[in-house]
Amino acid sequence: MSLPPDLEQPAGHDESRRTFLKQSSLLTALTFVPGPVVQAATNELDEKVAAAFEKVPLKLEVNGVKHKLSVEPRTTLLDLLRENLNLTGTKKGCDYGQCGACTVHVDGQRVNSCLSFAVMHEGKKITTIEGLAEGDKLHPMQEAFVKHDGFQCGYCTPGQIMSAVACVREGHAGSEAEIREYMSGNICRCGAYSNIVAAIQEVKNGGQKV
Amino acid sequence: MKEQAQNKQIGAPMNRVDGHLKVTGAAKYSAEYELPNMAYAVLVGSTIAKGRLTGVDAKAAERAPGVLAVITHFNSPKVPGFDTAGKDPSQPATVGGPLKIFKDDKIHYSDQPIAVVVADSWERARHAARLVKGQYAPEKHKTNLEAGASEAFLPTAAKKNPKHPMNDYQRGQADAYKLGAIKLESEYVIPTEVHHPMELQAITAHWEAADKLTIYDKTQGTMATRRDFAKEWNLPEENVKVIATFVGGAFGNALHSWPHESAAIIAARVVNRPVKLMLTREQMFTNVGYRPYTWQKLGMSATPDGKITAITHESIGQTSNYEEFTESTLAQTRMMYQAPNVTTRYRLVSLDVCSPIWMRGPGEATGAFALESAMDEMAHMLNLDPLEFRLRNYTDKDPENGKPWSTKFLKECYQLGAERVGWSKRQLKPGSLRDGEWLIGYGMGVGTFGAHRGAATVGAQLLANGTVLLQCATTDIGPGTGTVMTQIAADTLGLDPKKIRFELGNSSFPKAGTQGGSSTVNSVGPATQEACLALKDKLRGLAGASNAAFASAKKEDVTLTDGYLALSSNPATRVAYADLIKQGGDKAVMVEARPGPEGQQYSMYSFSVHFVEVRVHELTGEVRVSKLVSCADAGTIVNEKTAGNQMKGGAVGGIGMALMEAAHIDDRFGRYVTKDFADYHVPVHADSPAVEVAFVNQPDPHVNALGTKGIGEIAIIGVAPAIANAVFNATGKRVRELPITPDKLI
Amino acid sequence: MNQFQYVRPSKQQAAIDAVAKDPNATFIAGGTNLVDLMKRGIATPQKLVDINRLPLARIDADPGKLRIGALALNSTVADDKQVRERQPLLAQALNAGASAQLRNMATVGGNMLQRTRCSYFYDLAMPCNKREPGSGCGALEGINRMHAIFGFSDKCIAVHPSDMSVALVALDATVLVSGPKGERRIPFIDFHRLPGDTPEKDTNLEKGELITAVDVPDGPFTKYVHYQKVRERASYAFALLSVAAALDIENNTIKAARLAMGGVAHKPWRLTAAEQLLVGKPATEDTFRQAAEVAMQGAKAFKHNAYKIKLGPNTIVQALRTAASAA
Repeated sequence: MSLPPDLEQPAGHDESRRTFLKQSSLLTALTFVPGPVVQAATNELDEKVAAAFEKVPLKLEVNGVKHKLSVEPRTTLLDLLRENLNLTGTKKGCDYGQCGACTVHVDGQRVNSCLSFAVMHEGKKITTIEGLAEGDKLHPMQEAFVKHDGFQCGYCTPGQIMSAVACVREGHAGSEAEIREYMSGNICRCGAYSNIVAAIQEVKNGGQKV
Repeated sequence: MKEQAQNKQIGAPMNRVDGHLKVTGAAKYSAEYELPNMAYAVLVGSTIAKGRLTGVDAKAAERAPGVLAVITHFNSPKVPGFDTAGKDPSQPATVGGPLKIFKDDKIHYSDQPIAVVVADSWERARHAARLVKGQYAPEKHKTNLEAGASEAFLPTAAKKNPKHPMNDYQRGQADAYKLGAIKLESEYVIPTEVHHPMELQAITAHWEAADKLTIYDKTQGTMATRRDFAKEWNLPEENVKVIATFVGGAFGNALHSWPHESAAIIAARVVNRPVKLMLTREQMFTNVGYRPYTWQKLGMSATPDGKITAITHESIGQTSNYEEFTESTLAQTRMMYQAPNVTTRYRLVSLDVCSPIWMRGPGEATGAFALESAMDEMAHMLNLDPLEFRLRNYTDKDPENGKPWSTKFLKECYQLGAERVGWSKRQLKPGSLRDGEWLIGYGMGVGTFGAHRGAATVGAQLLANGTVLLQCATTDIGPGTGTVMTQIAADTLGLDPKKIRFELGNSSFPKAGTQGGSSTVNSVGPATQEACLALKDKLRGLAGASNAAFASAKKEDVTLTDGYLALSSNPATRVAYADLIKQGGDKAVMVEARPGPEGQQYSMYSFSVHFVEVRVHELTGEVRVSKLVSCADAGTIVNEKTAGNQMKGGAVGGIGMALMEAAHIDDRFGRYVTKDFADYHVPVHADSPAVEVAFVNQPDPHVNALGTKGIGEIAIIGVAPAIANAVFNATGKRVRELPITPDKLI
Repeated sequence: MNQFQYVRPSKQQAAIDAVAKDPNATFIAGGTNLVDLMKRGIATPQKLVDINRLPLARIDADPGKLRIGALALNSTVADDKQVRERQPLLAQALNAGASAQLRNMATVGGNMLQRTRCSYFYDLAMPCNKREPGSGCGALEGINRMHAIFGFSDKCIAVHPSDMSVALVALDATVLVSGPKGERRIPFIDFHRLPGDTPEKDTNLEKGELITAVDVPDGPFTKYVHYQKVRERASYAFALLSVAAALDIENNTIKAARLAMGGVAHKPWRLTAAEQLLVGKPATEDTFRQAAEVAMQGAKAFKHNAYKIKLGPNTIVQALRTAASAA
């Protein structure tokens, strides 16, 4: 994979550009309108014009699909997936990296998508729960979760499954205790832990390719 | 059931019908619907706990990019129902009601929403929300229950109605335990605990027309939510549609409508776009209820041979200053053990906090912590095995009202659980067992919850492709409602479950109660069964037009097979669905099932017992639950896989309650210092052993024809005291204030 | 969260300049703490300088020391063969922190720069001198069960939350820093600060200074080590208190010892006096208990954290016990 060129200069928002936009606003031409109204209207329009310049370009590959996007730097990978790409399988459970519901794979590694800005993943490959199955064929971990009833409400499930797949790939599914420790970053408030561990053990012991 | 011979699905560990959607990420929760022109709303909370909002500086927010509106008390459109709600004479004003957002300038609790900011993206709405500044005239607040205990009062509903269950209860002599030779008197405290489902509370509100509202909402009751918002906006109920196809857990916190829902609906009206609002994890502490901080005192006396002579159980729970929240903290004490003298007293303290709301195993889980701990304390005083002590006080009829139990197989549960956990290893003397640095102890705790059943309606229809579609407004917050209803329908119809679809979570479907109080299968189960029977009868009638054998057949004899309607007694007698469809005519039924009079004749309860083995580190005081066996008498188990999962989940919830969960308020500010999952710990994988579950699985013939009694609540009730009792057995330390954190054991 | 400029330099000097010259600029690496703080409005940088493309992620197994790049991920370091063999205490401490996902994001440099988890620091509506100098310390008279028993001031009683740093201070690590004024080496023990009158400053890093690596010198602590972390649940929680213990034992006599505590002070707390007591003594429960008592001299509790005065020595004993039997 070739890395994109470095972003030495801000491609997006910068104060001088915004100030320039403000000063050159079209509305300043409306000199016959009383001062305060112009001022208010100017501010509003300026903000809207300036906002368009606050986005930066971003190239990402999500579940094998290449995306060319324009995002605010403050957009997290999680919000990008859920709100911009309509990949709502990745869940928001806390937004602070404290629950694991937002777990996705970035270049094969499990991470909390809520705690990183999308722009920091320029050029990377993201896999979400929607990209795990091959067409209609569920991934063995998904099959095992269904079989062992590794969920109840289903909200933490995508994160649990993404984490479980990584847990096995990393070699951290050697024992029940090891699975429990290495899955502790994924909270299930319904408490389906016993069944989740059983599902992971089955996949691990079954020797299927994960 | 009459069709025992055909029973193939009820009792089978069928995989969930929505499992595929959940493991692929395709299940849509309330903030995940795509609507055109969506706007995003974020709440701004009060920084004071009590007083008045004198102003809101929203200038910076209004000017921030992408902001569509900043709505506050000062500019909010009038919500018509806010003026009329609460004036219903059947709902005395003193009992209060839900907070009416933006209606007035009163601040009732810290982080009460003072504004909602609407923008064209989450990022912009969140940023602008940070720019909104409230101006306040603060007043002195109260957030500490113990400091307010002297002002504890009997709930208004009880004052007005002497038969209300929250009234003081007395059987035999009042406070007779004080006269006993062998007696104990202990105080117990449970802190505020928060439901914290993994899905943050969220709503998408869409005014499809000026008088037509659709909301995608996290709710346990689509009908109740529809009623609430129809009332708020003075709309006919049919103009409000509530969709909750998937609910990412709730545990009680979506039993109530909350201010954020009203805020989103107001916002959608103001900006004239669909509006999505999702609470932050901080707001899940402050704005959607919790299990209330509760102080309890339990006095008990017993004879030397282990017969309880008297129990007095008192409880003071917290509520808000605008709503009287009550729960059945003392119910279990009145009916669980044979005791001639029982006194219970329930009181509330109003604090400047958000209203509590029932949290899994609601008051019973709180009460059981006191009762089941006290049982263990008394057994210890008597030098009796706590299981033996419970058996000596076992009740064969309900001592509260003298009625027979509809069914009670608690002794069978005791036996199942004791064997599985290895109870025989337990030593009477605390601190007797160890494994290296770890002290080992065993404990038990009992749970019970009413086998509640309400009315429910299910619609059933045969579709042209030979499948059956069932619909009901009930919700599924995780137990597997759609799955078990499919199983019930499959057995009743004789049809392959793959040919059946049970749709739920939509207020437009035939009506059902809220999913709560372990009542869904008890209520919707029989409605599903009866709807399927009615459908068979209807199809039989249609088939009778072309085949006389059907005309004279009983509906029970009719079965649906792949492609044909047939008679069970003679499968060769059959009519193709294609022919029925061609024939025309309505192939849909809608049936309401209501509870019968049995509820008056019997005391109906589910029962559970939880046995645990704990390991307590001798130096660090860390507690690990190494074994947990939960056994239940919950009537017929429709699906052992999903039911077992529910029991395991309750056990994990109980581990949280016992060992780590506590939300703390700094009373100086009236604000929570626990704000997220780093401060408020819920159990993680490493906290849970492989929970073992055993069901007695005996049908209760009186609750409904299926024989079910309910599982969700008894799964957690009694777990926390079982763990506390095991910790005592391991260490000799009795912890009466939850959670049992290391600092309390070193 | 406010909007900010985002830049991603490929040259170290450009990154340093970008932060040094802009009072509102800050570095971002893993982001696991900074993004969290930005979401809550506690950190409000106007410019983020993403350093992830700088070549600072290597782990170099040099003779006599390991040089761990500042951008090496916590999981990479914890699983690194050289680290596990030469500094097993560090690997243990890393694995005791956060979750597998977070360890896949968090860097060594970022881990050291974690800010406190004090609840008052995290709530904009409550006072905190660290967040807003002069506003007062909410914890001093508030709910302070997680707070310091050593080295606090009347301005701040918060604790440093890192596990990794407790091991690094015990192991006599050195922080390599590059800044506008060039490079310098900071002994780990001097890297974090005590709060004094300026609790807003967590470390002795100057504006624009970038952590480039951490040197961990080889020592005899490859066998008898243990990181003991006591928390309120079995995993994925910050420490109530933790102890990093490293011993060199020969014929049951302690030849060298390293001991540090976490969760007790504004910085990882090295227990030098206890180390000295251990040396030359037999590796017995008695010795460990004596060391634990010495270690706790000067500890002072607040309203809700008195348990730490007892949990501290117990955890030290447990850590030493486990370390001594770790062979």
